[in-house]
Amino acid sequence: MANVNVQHRAAKLSTAVPGFEFDEEADLAQSPAWFLDGTHSVPPWTPLFGWFWINFCRHGMQYGAEMLSLPTVKGWDWRFKNGGGYLTLLLVKTEAEQRQREQRFRVAIRPFIDDYDGLWRSQLDEMLGLYQGLKKLDLDKASNIEVLDNFEQTINVCRRMWEVHMYMMYGTYTAYILFENMCRELLGIDDTHPLFHKLITGFDNKVLQVDKTIWEFSQKASKLGLAEVILHSEPKDIVAKIEAAPNGHAFMESFRAFLNEDGWRMQRMSEMNLPTWIEDPAPPLINLKQFLVKGGGFNLEAEREKVSKEREAAEKEVLAKVAPEQRGWFTTLLRLAQKSGVFSEEHDHYLDLYTHAMMRRSALALGRRLAGGGAIDSAEDIFFIIPDEIRKAAINPDQFNLRPIVATRRAQWQEWCKTPNPPVILKEGFDMDQAMGVLVKSNDPIALKVVVGSMPVVRPELKADLHGTCGSPGVTEGLARVIMSEDQLADVQPGEILIAATTSPSWTPVFSFIKGVVVDRGASLSHAAIVGREYGIPVLMNVFVGTQQIRTGQRIRLDANMGALYILDK
Amino acid sequence: MAKKWIYALEELGQEHLELVGKKCANLGEMTKLGMRVPPGFAISVDGFEKYMQVTGLGKRIESYFASQGDELKKSIQRQMDASRVVKDLIAATPLPEAMAEEIEKNYEALCRRCGEAELPVAVRSSGSVSMPGQMETYLYVRGSSEVTRRVLEVWESTFNTRAIAFRLEKGMPVDKAPIGVAVIKMVNAKSAGVVLTVVPTNGDEDNVVIEGNWGLGESVVSGDITPDNFIVNKANLDIERKLSKKTKWVVATGNGTIKADVPLHLQEMPCLEDEEIRELVRIALNVEKHFGVPQDMEWVVDRDLPFPENVIWVQARQAKYIPKRKDADADYLVDQMTRLFRR
Repeated sequence: MANVNVQHRAAKLSTAVPGFEFDEEADLAQSPAWFLDGTHSVPPWTPLFGWFWINFCRHGMQYGAEMLSLPTVKGWDWRFKNGGGYLTLLLVKTEAEQRQREQRFRVAIRPFIDDYDGLWRSQLDEMLGLYQGLKKLDLDKASNIEVLDNFEQTINVCRRMWEVHMYMMYGTYTAYILFENMCRELLGIDDTHPLFHKLITGFDNKVLQVDKTIWEFSQKASKLGLAEVILHSEPKDIVAKIEAAPNGHAFMESFRAFLNEDGWRMQRMSEMNLPTWIEDPAPPLINLKQFLVKGGGFNLEAEREKVSKEREAAEKEVLAKVAPEQRGWFTTLLRLAQKSGVFSEEHDHYLDLYTHAMMRRSALALGRRLAGGGAIDSAEDIFFIIPDEIRKAAINPDQFNLRPIVATRRAQWQEWCKTPNPPVILKEGFDMDQAMGVLVKSNDPIALKVVVGSMPVVRPELKADLHGTCGSPGVTEGLARVIMSEDQLADVQPGEILIAATTSPSWTPVFSFIKGVVVDRGASLSHAAIVGREYGIPVLMNVFVGTQQIRTGQRIRLDANMGALYILDK
Repeated sequence: MAKKWIYALEELGQEHLELVGKKCANLGEMTKLGMRVPPGFAISVDGFEKYMQVTGLGKRIESYFASQGDELKKSIQRQMDASRVVKDLIAATPLPEAMAEEIEKNYEALCRRCGEAELPVAVRSSGSVSMPGQMETYLYVRGSSEVTRRVLEVWESTFNTRAIAFRLEKGMPVDKAPIGVAVIKMVNAKSAGVVLTVVPTNGDEDNVVIEGNWGLGESVVSGDITPDNFIVNKANLDIERKLSKKTKWVVATGNGTIKADVPLHLQEMPCLEDEEIRELVRIALNVEKHFGVPQDMEWVVDRDLPFPENVIWVQARQAKYIPKRKDADADYLVDQMTRLFRR
C-alpha cells in the first residue's frame, strides 16, 4: 500500500508539463500520428526546459498559423513524453473554413511581400528591446521579489519569442515554397538542384559574422604569441591556460567583451542546462583553436565572394529563361526566397539561442536564491523543477523543501537519457507512410521544409552505399567523423567529413574547416544545408542511416550532386 | 527683310513646336542633347501661310469653304468633294518663284554640307498636333524641283478628307491648318529600328528594348516583319538576344523605296553589333534621363560612316506603354501563395 502511494506520488511529481503530458488513449484519439521532434528534443530535455518549449513553441505555432490565417493548417499541437517533444498537426477540417481562412490569408501574407526587411527588422528590434529589459536587472543585488519578477518576465519574453518565431517562419517559408514551385514550373529544377542552391546562396548573416570574428581572434592570438598555449589546451583548461600566459589576460578581456555582445547563446541550441558562451568561453575558444589547427586564411571570405559571384551568374541564367512579363514578380519572389536562408540562420541566433540564454540567466539567479535558502541543493537543480514549484519557494526559499522533487525528477531524467524516444507514436492500424501523407497533405510550410524534406531517389546504377538529397552541391572525399552531440564537436579535425543526425547553429564554426556534411535528416532550409552552401562544401541530407552505418575514421566519398555516398574502406 | 520661314535643325528646340511642328522641334531638341541626327532644315508654318497669302490661294480656299456652309459637316461625300477641289487648287498653284528659290538654296546648301549633289532626302510632315491623315513621308527625294514638289504635297495633305473631317468634328477652322515640313538627309541605312526605354507590354522600366531589321526602319515601324529583338538590362547592360529570320527589308531605289528580299547570308545574322547596341542604349538612357520619362526612339545605323558616328537618330518621343500597376506583382504572388494551400 505504501509502495503504491509512493509510485502515485512520483507519477504526479513527474508531470513536468502539466496539461501536456502525452496520454496515449486521449492523444491517439485526437490524432493517429505524433512525431518526435528529433532535431530539438534528442537527447531528452530537462523538465524546466521542456516546460518552456512545449508550452510556448506550441503556442507560437498556433499563433503564427492563426495570425497568417494559413488556409489548411492551424499550427501544431505538442505533448511531452519522457523528455521528448511530440507533435501533430492541427488541420482545418472543412473546405468552407479553408475558403474563409484564405480570404484573411491574402491580407495577412501581404507584408511579407511588400516589405520583408522592415517586417523582420521591427520584430527583431522588439525582441532585442525585451532582452535589454531583462538584462537591466542586477541579479546579484536584486531582492527575491525582483528576481522572481525577472523570471516571470522571462516567461513572457519566451512566449513572445515563439510568436515572432513562428509567424515569421510560416510567412517566410510560404514564399520559399512558392519560389521552389515556380522554379520547377518555369525552369524544371527543384530545391535539391545545384542551380537552385546557387540562386539562394552568398548572403551574410549574423551567425557567419560571429564565426568570422572568432577567426579574427585566432589571428590576434597568433600575433600575441598565444597560439602554442591554445594549441596545447583542452576544453577544460583552455581558459585558465590562456589567462596564465603572457598577454593572455588582456586577450581574454577583449574576447569576453566580444562574448558580452554576441555570446548570448547556448552550447546546445535547445536546452538550458549547459553554460552560455558568456559563462564558459571554452566552446568558442575551442573553435578558435580549430582555426589555428587548420592554419591559413579564413576561407569564408573568399568562399563567400565566390558564391556571391556564382549567385549573380545563376540569377542571370535563370532570368534569361523567364519571360519578360514574368520577371517582375519572379524577381520579387527570388529575393524573398533568398531571405529565407538568412532568416533561417539569424532567427536561431536572435530568437532561440538568445531567449534560451535569457532563460538560463534568470533561472540560475532564482536557483542561487533557492539554494541559498536551502530549498534545493545547488543552483543547477532549478532545471528539475517547473515554474509553479519555483513560485512556491521563490520569495521565501528558507520555508520550503524542494529537494525530493528535484531528486525524483533528476532520476527520471537520467532514465529518459538511457532509452531513446521512439521517432513516432502511431495509433494501431496507422502506418508511417500514412503519417507522412498527412504531413504533406497539410501543406504546412514548416512540415514541408523543415520536418519532411525531399525523399532521396535511389539510383542503382550509381552503386552507392547510401543515398540522400543534395543540400549543397559538390563532390568530396575524406575521413568520416561521426558526431552525435555538441559536446563532441571539439573532436572534429580539419578536412574531415562530418556525419550527424542534424546540425544547429552551435555547430557552424566547424563548417569552415571540414570538407563535407552528411545528415540523417534535413531539408533545403535546414541548418546544415544553408551553412554548407555558404561555405561552399557539399551536404547530403535525408540519408536516414548515416550515423548508424558510417564509423569515424572510415574513408568516404560524397557526391552531393548525385545524392550518393560511398564507403571506401568497409 | 522678309520674315524667316526656313530654319536649320540646329536652330530649333522644344520651344519651336508651334512654329515648325513636332517632328522638326524634336529633331532640333535632339541636336541640343548631342544626339546625332541627319542634317537637314525645317520649313515653318510661316512657309505655308506665305504660300497661301502670296498666291491668293488662302482667300480662295476660305471663300470656297464659306460657300459650303454647314452642309459640309453632315455629308462625307461633300467632304470628299471639298478635299478634291482644294487639292486640285493647290496642285494648280506652283510655289512663287522666290519661295522656290529659297527652298532650293537651302537644299543645295545641304547637298554641299553632305558632299553629294542631288542628295537624297526625306520630306516629312511636321504638325504641331497629331492629326489623322497628315503623316506624309516621302523618302529618297532627289533634286530641288522634286523637293519643292513634295513640300507642296505635304501642304496639300492637310486637305485630305480625313483631315477635313477631323477638323470639322473638333470644331477647328476647316479652311486652313498650317503645317511644318522637315527636309532631312536620307541615311544610307545598314539597319534601322526602334529603342524603347521601357518594356511596353508590362511597364518594366529596368530594361531597354531594341528592335531592328536590315535596311530602312519602315519595315520595323510598320510591323510587317518580325525584327531582331534585344533586351538590355539598364543596370548591368547585359544583352539578351532574340534573333529572328529576317526575310524582307525596305531598301532605296533610284527614286523611292521598295520592300525586297533580304540576301540569304544576312537573314539570320544580328542586324546590330554589340558596340552599336551599347551605344544605342547609352544615348537612349541619356535622353530618358533628360526628359524624365521612358522614351520611344527611332534609330538608323549608317552604312558609310565609322562607329560611333554611324549611330543616327530620327525620332525621340515619350513612350506609350502599359504602366506597371504598382501592386500587380504582389497581387499575383498573393494569388499564387493562396493556391499553394489548395493542392
